[in-house]
Amino acid sequence: MRNSVALIVIGFLTALIALLTWSLTRSPETVGDVVAFEDALTFSSQSRSRTTTTTSIPESGADAETVPADIPGFTIGVESQGHNRIPVGLRIPALNKVASVIQAGVEPNGDMEVPANVDDVAWYKYGPAPGEPGSAVLAAHVDLAGQGPGVFFGLRDLEPGSAIYVDFDDGSTGVYEAQARKTYQKEDLPTDAIFSREGPAVLTLITCGGDFNRSLRRYDSNVVVYAIEASGGPSPTNEGLTPVAGRESDAA
Amino acid sequence: MRKAILALVALMMLVPGMALAQSSDGVVTVVHGVPDLDVDVYVNDALTLPGFTYGTVTDPLTLPAGDYDIDIRAAGADASSDPVLTELVTLPAGANATIEANLDGDGGPKISVWVNDISAIDAGNGRVTVRHTAAAPNVDILANDGELFGNVPNGAEGVADVAAGDYNVKVTAAGDASAVVQEVPALTIPEGTNVIVYAIGDLGGGSFQLAVQSISGLHSAPTGVPSGTGGDLGSNVPAWLVVSLVLATTTMIVGGVKFARERN
Repeated sequence: MRNSVALIVIGFLTALIALLTWSLTRSPETVGDVVAFEDALTFSSQSRSRTTTTTSIPESGADAETVPADIPGFTIGVESQGHNRIPVGLRIPALNKVASVIQAGVEPNGDMEVPANVDDVAWYKYGPAPGEPGSAVLAAHVDLAGQGPGVFFGLRDLEPGSAIYVDFDDGSTGVYEAQARKTYQKEDLPTDAIFSREGPAVLTLITCGGDFNRSLRRYDSNVVVYAIEASGGPSPTNEGLTPVAGRESDAA
Repeated sequence: MRKAILALVALMMLVPGMALAQSSDGVVTVVHGVPDLDVDVYVNDALTLPGFTYGTVTDPLTLPAGDYDIDIRAAGADASSDPVLTELVTLPAGANATIEANLDGDGGPKISVWVNDISAIDAGNGRVTVRHTAAAPNVDILANDGELFGNVPNGAEGVADVAAGDYNVKVTAAGDASAVVQEVPALTIPEGTNVIVYAIGDLGGGSFQLAVQSISGLHSAPTGVPSGTGGDLGSNVPAWLVVSLVLATTTMIVGGVKFARERN
């Protein structure tokens, strides 16, 4: 009699302790003041500033004439859309990751392009570069079928305060500090804020997370980390960075 | 952390301009498309654009919605003299308009009022607007040698959203792709921007040219970020928890069975 009651009590306590431990140790879905970032990057479509630039092409005769391609206004190219420098590398010591950053646009279905290689990071080239007003988006796969875990596999555990280094095409490096993290259901992803081209300069890292649907082969959520430039401005050194084999830092 | 939030708030306050167009305002751009005529532009009897020259496109002006008297006189002409052109233009709230002095199909000067399409553009796309405001026959507009707009007469426009990028653009006589009037080898249509191209001047008189206005900030966000197909992330429930719960449940069942037996 006593033995059987003891077993039931022990079983009950084990379950209780296990559940308590889990709830205390698991990574919460939201860390830091996510709302401050969402609000700072949210603009109504009416308030969105529209800039107009104007130019005229020099006069040409009635005959067919070729206009040089370097006329101002005709070369507001993607490359020269006001970016002083564009990101080419990303290093996150806390995740022990070093990755190349490639430029990405939009898929035919309207989604952001994410690199086919699970080890690469995509920069949304139509939005701001890191350091420019608005949210600079760097996205990478959490994993890919056939390729395994990706650069941002550990993003869902990246803690506020973690350093993020962005290497630029001009050889400079920006140092950013993670501030907040949230796992959003995909249908709740605040895309207008995350892809904002106005507001404070925010570095936004995105990957997939949440539950995985094996038949659709897709996750139901996105993990988003918001970071801002570390106080004191970009550091020219690699202080605090664990060297990773196979790649020399671009930092001067 | 608090410091960071404060820094963020400070940054928000610094966001330049924020020249939020009041919803009761409209935006106006002025284009000069009448060749060989420098003009003074008067708005409600006030000299607004002195010495405005052919081919010029102004920066956008934000004005309260309402009616405006536009008078155009030869540059330097007395403000009380009869204007060359006059027009009453109504600017609706929230509108983005272009007022253009240009030639009609017969070469006579006129004022045209255009409403610019500032609706949101899908992510990844730009918008191209072509306006035929030259003394010239109907034209075709070819992009990368495919017809973008066909048989456009003087006074008409074509508007299309296209994938952002560079396009070879040709203006040709309507129906004759070989009769190229003008070619732009690489017209850049930036993402989220409406590039408005005006054909102006007199084709026969040799003053035919293009003028360009562009309105940016019409972009939309991508619809999502698909970034995982592996399923390697694993469930949110860790294995040790599953094992512990199975063990706990087993223990309780064993205890329960024992308890029931002992009572019998």
